Amino acid sequence: MPSKKKALSFLLYFIVIAILIVQIYPVVWLMLSSFKSSIELTTKPFSMPTSWSLDNYGAVFRDSALLLYIKNTAIVTFSCLLLIVFLSSTAGFALVKMNFKLNSKLLLFFTVGIMIPIQVTLIPLFIMYKDFGLLNSYLALILPQVGFALPLSILVFTSFYSYVPNELIEAAVIDGCNIYQVFYKIISPLTVNTTITVASINFVLIWNDFIFSNTFTNDKQYKTISVGLQEFIGAFGATDWGQTFAAISISIIPIIIIYLFLNKYLMAGVSDGAVKG
Amino acid sequence: MNVLKDKKAWFIFIAPALLFYLGTVFVPIIQSLNYGFQDWNGIKDAEYIGLGNYTRMFQDPYFWNSVQNNLVYVVIVVLMQVFIGLFFALLLSYVKKGAGIFRTLYYLPAVVVTVAIAQMFRNFYSLQPLGLLNMFLDWIGLGYLQTAWLSNPHTALIAVSLPEGWRFTGMYMVIFYAALIAIPKEIEEAATIDGVNGWQLIRHIKLPSIKHVLSLALIMCTTGALRGFDIPYIIGVPGSTTELVTTYMYKKAFATNQFGYGSSIAVFIVIESLIAVLIIRSIFNSRKGEA
Repeated sequence: MPSKKKALSFLLYFIVIAILIVQIYPVVWLMLSSFKSSIELTTKPFSMPTSWSLDNYGAVFRDSALLLYIKNTAIVTFSCLLLIVFLSSTAGFALVKMNFKLNSKLLLFFTVGIMIPIQVTLIPLFIMYKDFGLLNSYLALILPQVGFALPLSILVFTSFYSYVPNELIEAAVIDGCNIYQVFYKIISPLTVNTTITVASINFVLIWNDFIFSNTFTNDKQYKTISVGLQEFIGAFGATDWGQTFAAISISIIPIIIIYLFLNKYLMAGVSDGAVKG
Repeated sequence: MNVLKDKKAWFIFIAPALLFYLGTVFVPIIQSLNYGFQDWNGIKDAEYIGLGNYTRMFQDPYFWNSVQNNLVYVVIVVLMQVFIGLFFALLLSYVKKGAGIFRTLYYLPAVVVTVAIAQMFRNFYSLQPLGLLNMFLDWIGLGYLQTAWLSNPHTALIAVSLPEGWRFTGMYMVIFYAALIAIPKEIEEAATIDGVNGWQLIRHIKLPSIKHVLSLALIMCTTGALRGFDIPYIIGVPGSTTELVTTYMYKKAFATNQFGYGSSIAVFIVIESLIAVLIIRSIFNSRKGEA
């Protein structure tokens, strides 16, 4: 029996590791390839790079605006995150902890937004932004991202607030806090984990956004990575895969590092969202 | 407590979020509905044509072709994300050491920038120069299968669907895994004592216990695939073999300035998603009746 159990466990790990290779090999392959010369890329595609050349990276930094695109993406993403956390934590608080008849209807109204495909808003937003001269601005990218992030973010915050005991608020009020102080001094410090969860879910979504950026910006000055990367690749032609891979690596390494640091919170958001919902 | 009934404070807390939500989600939807009834190119005055765009849509063979493609796309993506994701999660739920690391790494493709994934797969599929997939086929002796996967009309649609399926399989795995390990241990133990074998345990205990998560995942995944856009738009071939409803809408609106017609297609996407949700819900609810 023990040997059979051992064999089964060995088989299990074998399959799990095989799946892991399928899941991450493409990304690893891409990063390794970014260090290869174009000749090596075509002749020895599966081997380790022989010289670990940084030429591709040098060329990307020299010839492209990738850093500008990364800067734009960071500006948009972090502005969005600030707004999302602020708006959803305050609204969620009022919806859960304050006593108003409208609350349940409003919460429903917000959560319906989870089901709305963003494509349905592209044409109206495009026209609206054109009329207001907002095309090619950070604002054009920030506004819809925040609006579409609110439903899920508010939901995550409300599920946290529902565990906060009312006695805590009562005690603070007896101590002389007004409602804003209750929120700012008592509730907010408790929401650190929830805030990181909300921020990390939205970080990935907004950093990766393609459709809003592609629709609302065409000026190089405001392009984000998603759109910039695409143009960058076109500019060098499809054959220079070495540089392309270097550009892709540069753009995905920051997000992978942040992900590895925050994955606990991201997992919490992704899995709790579905398991509790 | 009076502070919790403070109307002004309540308004101050909610109004900013509500304004954002109304302005960027709700109002545009209403406008989309409105544009759907107009013939409008964004420049000349809009003209109300009633259901004109919708009749045109239902007679448009390119539109129907995109609906058909989209259904194939949905099937491939759902099979990969929900079924393979569930399989991964079940396997991982038996792993004792290092499950956390596997979970973290399986999820990794989901955080990689979509455009990067799209370009990566464009390289894998390439025939000229020889891409990774074609090299691999050659390497394992199936070189005769080599083709330009993205431009071959028989394989193009599958080729644009796979990256999307692959990249979120790990995400659904995480969701199912969380649900599986949340099943109380006592239930499993009791069943094992009653002589239930491994497969029966999965079939009759584990899957029914995570049914609500399965139905939610199926809804998320199906509606997600119905509005799938990025990868087919970026690496899809010109012409109609990889056209999805969203890419068709996008081209009608932003490449040919048919804002009215584009809006009616956008409205179709919403209705199509709602119908999908209703169908999935009713399937899962009727199953509940049987049990």
